[in-house]
Amino acid sequence: MRDLLLFAHIIAGLALIAFPIIILLYLKKKPKWLKEFSFATAAISWLLLLPSGKLYITFYPATKTLVKAGSWPWAHSIVMETKEHWGLLLPIIATVAAGLVFTGKTKESKKWWILLIILSALIGVMGRVVKIGALK
Amino acid sequence: MAKFNFYLGAAASAWLLAILIVAAELISQFKTFLANAFTHHWIGKAVIVYSAFVVFGFLLQNKKSILNFSDEKAAWYSMLGSLIIIFLFFAIEFAR
Repeated sequence: MRDLLLFAHIIAGLALIAFPIIILLYLKKKPKWLKEFSFATAAISWLLLLPSGKLYITFYPATKTLVKAGSWPWAHSIVMETKEHWGLLLPIIATVAAGLVFTGKTKESKKWWILLIILSALIGVMGRVVKIGALK
Repeated sequence: MAKFNFYLGAAASAWLLAILIVAAELISQFKTFLANAFTHHWIGKAVIVYSAFVVFGFLLQNKKSILNFSDEKAAWYSMLGSLIIIFLFFAIEFAR
């Protein structure tokens, strides 16, 4: 169960980096599939809440104990606390970006897609830091 | 934008999340209330913030600006501001 959730979490997180990159590459050409692809990206950002929420609520408390008892307590207190709340804003950012594409404001959507890429990548790195923190 | 204002929905939810985080960390009874009401404080914040996104997005659908800021700028700077405040708050709380 935990591994399945973890894979879903990682794959969906990677999709939130890869899909916006593809969207940005085709933003000027405005292909027919751009709206559908933008919608799919926003949908993934909402669906990602399910595995991430389950992992955080059910499985993270044991890791949290290890991190806080180790030599990197900040990995929980700063990194994980920030990560778990930044993650709540991913669906909002993706929905704004997709909404702009749907309403023909593709140019304005650019910076929101870039923010989605940066934030998703940062959250991934932060997850890795927390994982290392549990081993310290 | 017609029908739904993605910008102002996002601005409202970004600020609300920052406020909820600070309030929940500084007032333990509020964090407990969120946990009791929604089974977990994180779920409570999520439900409130996403509800605000939808509600304010519809309520402010015809507004093009707020406090002399265009809705686009309000959303962008609110989102960046919220992200920065969240990180700084936890960093400061840890350092205290």
